[in-house]
Amino acid sequence: MNRRAFLKTVGFWSLFMEMSVRNLFAREQAMVAVAEGSDHARTTRKALAALGGMKRFVKSGNVVVIKPNMGWDRTPAQAANTNPVVVRALAEEALAAGAKRVKIFDRTCNDERRCYVQSGMKDAFKGMKNVELKFIENERFKKVTIRGSVLAEWELYGEALSADVFINVPVAKHHGLSKLTLGLKNVMGVMGGNRGSIHKNLDVALADINSVMKTHLTVIDATRILTAHGPQGGNLADVKVLNKVIASTDIVAADSFATTLFGMKPAEIPVTVAAYRRGLGEMNLNRIKVVKV
Amino acid sequence: MKRFTSARISQLLFLALFLVLFVQTEYRGNDQISAAVNSFFRADPLVSVSYLLAEKSFTWLIFPGILVLALTILLGRFFCGWICPLGTILDLITGRIRKTAPIRALKRNLKYFLLIPLLTCSLFGVNLTGLLDPMALLLRALSFFFYPLVGDTVRQGWVALYRIMGERRDLLAPGYDIVRDYVLPFRETFYPLAFLSTALFLLILFLERYETRNWCRNLCPLGTLLGIAGRFSLFSRLPKKLCPDCGACRDLCPTSFDRDILQKEECILCMECQLHCPSQRIRFSFSGISAADGPYLPERRLILGGVVTGFFLARFFRFRSPEAQVRILRPPGVQDEGEFLRKCVRCGECMKVCLRSALYPAILQAGVEGVYTPQVIPRLGYCEYNCTLCGQVCPTGAIPNLTSEAKKRAVIGKAAFNKNHCLPFAKKVNCIVCEEHCPIPSKAIRSRKMAEVANDGTQAVIQVPYVVDELCTGCGICENVCPLEGKAGIEVFAVKDRTPLREYGNNKDILPEQGKKNDPYSG
Repeated sequence: MNRRAFLKTVGFWSLFMEMSVRNLFAREQAMVAVAEGSDHARTTRKALAALGGMKRFVKSGNVVVIKPNMGWDRTPAQAANTNPVVVRALAEEALAAGAKRVKIFDRTCNDERRCYVQSGMKDAFKGMKNVELKFIENERFKKVTIRGSVLAEWELYGEALSADVFINVPVAKHHGLSKLTLGLKNVMGVMGGNRGSIHKNLDVALADINSVMKTHLTVIDATRILTAHGPQGGNLADVKVLNKVIASTDIVAADSFATTLFGMKPAEIPVTVAAYRRGLGEMNLNRIKVVKV
Repeated sequence: MKRFTSARISQLLFLALFLVLFVQTEYRGNDQISAAVNSFFRADPLVSVSYLLAEKSFTWLIFPGILVLALTILLGRFFCGWICPLGTILDLITGRIRKTAPIRALKRNLKYFLLIPLLTCSLFGVNLTGLLDPMALLLRALSFFFYPLVGDTVRQGWVALYRIMGERRDLLAPGYDIVRDYVLPFRETFYPLAFLSTALFLLILFLERYETRNWCRNLCPLGTLLGIAGRFSLFSRLPKKLCPDCGACRDLCPTSFDRDILQKEECILCMECQLHCPSQRIRFSFSGISAADGPYLPERRLILGGVVTGFFLARFFRFRSPEAQVRILRPPGVQDEGEFLRKCVRCGECMKVCLRSALYPAILQAGVEGVYTPQVIPRLGYCEYNCTLCGQVCPTGAIPNLTSEAKKRAVIGKAAFNKNHCLPFAKKVNCIVCEEHCPIPSKAIRSRKMAEVANDGTQAVIQVPYVVDELCTGCGICENVCPLEGKAGIEVFAVKDRTPLREYGNNKDILPEQGKKNDPYSG
């Protein structure tokens, strides 16, 4: 075999191998459920049902962590925080599916007391049994070895790590640096330490974090979205009401679909691309099955 | 069984009220604090009088203090014996302290030499009364030292429990949450001057070694002021001297019977003498003024000497440290440094209530006369956009009580980037944490994409931030969250012109998109 023939053969087989390896490890096709309706609790339940219902994720006696975005001292209408109605519907579903306890928290950017009140969360969960809306306590952060591309290790929140089910519930909104903030970026809310310092490599660093902090279920609140001046907003003129809730087991697929709500392509969002390259999920819209309900 | 006088019951109630209001002076889930410990300062005649002298204008905030002064002219120094929380604390502990002889140096006219210069100083525009106001002294010791100490100790204990019990600590969490939400300070903030504040407070307690209510009768400027007013009072203890056959009052009375005759300006109406009189002779009633009550005013040389001292003291403080006023950041809504210094009581309530612990007492940063006045230190805490608490609790309106809308426009200073530190400039990497946190809806910190040569020689597109001065309030969140350690890449600097941000058009929101035409920077 001469050199040319060898290279040809190797080239041909490597193409083939690439495909077969992919097929071997291919998971079931990524699926994103998109529900629409102005009753946001019902819409959330519809999206969940399309995925197979909460029972698919939550088993009896499980501890469930719901991680909304409630990092800002803003009202629900301003779309800087996750809609409390969506979060409450998820908590109720988790309890109905047999969860022993549902914990809800976020490491806020503004004062946590104000954020929890102003975001509507405190009212939403008042008096609910087995649901804890709790403040972050620094002693609970645990150093986690990541061995990622840019982060060797980082402190992540113990209660998020130890949860049986981790439900990631971001609000879809604009962001000055990452263009959009969705499920992948929402995980920053369980990061300890000087998390601002990861901004210099935000996309790759978030892929690193998401590779160890696994989201079991992503529910993106697009009941209203913040289209500019994110992530904090404040001007109602920047808010667009869509009445949509997106749910998926594939965080990258959920983010990718949500990107289209802003008239953008997933490839334009570096965080999504970095996570896709890391194998955290599917970003090609033509390979994602979208179920509208 | 020990019998309580009405005065003692009133004292205990007011002390309890003081402590409850003190704990209430904190964000507990509502934007408005309905009742705060500032009520005590608004009812403090020393605060009211010095405010009137210094500011030469009236505000209803200080009206209760004027009322107390008027009542004192009618009734005497009831405030000291029935209300003052510091006096109550002294009464509670003094029984356990063995007394030596009174200090003679204190017995002369030192108290007038404190009060008169302080008030004269106020008249000439330097209001220092808060430094020696008894309730301010007490409150500062509580807010800067004891309360943070309690908070930190409990918190450390709670953390230690986690180290021991791990997740099982959650069983105790409901109890801890109640303590945290209703009793403890939310943050563990440590203040400079904590030790000075405590030392002064402990010194006052220490003075009880020499005689009862030593501070109250020999030093306290509030007590002295009330004493002068009380000389005119119509309400008095009768008889007005010791009875020749008994003299028990000499021991019963905490303040007045140094000599054999009742000194009306010292009587705090505690009525211990009436309760314990072996022959039931003593009563308190309206008796009118008689010549035996002594002169109405302190001696003339005292007044003149005090006034002259106060005048020179005030002039002396005109030599302000020139750079002090240029660098110091004041709480939101404070526009004029001079007016602020004249009104501030230095009670420390704003610092205690500050949501993000952005306020700290100045040591000498604002000049000698600015000691204990609040300053914003953004690296430690920033001014929360929607919060108006400091203005709400300020007893004299030195920090104006602004509506949320007005507060959002109040200017503390202006932020500026330091290109030698800020990452996009210095290291040619992306960051923009400041822009992300800027609370102004249309962003006072913005960024533009720039093609840069990174430090390794490669081409890079970097988002480079800039500040829109017309929108910046100097809240300091940018400096606070800057991921650089130590010195931030963006810092807030004081500005002379602290005119609130202007409104654009009829829209109440700050620089809405509709106002684009008006705003050259909008985009």
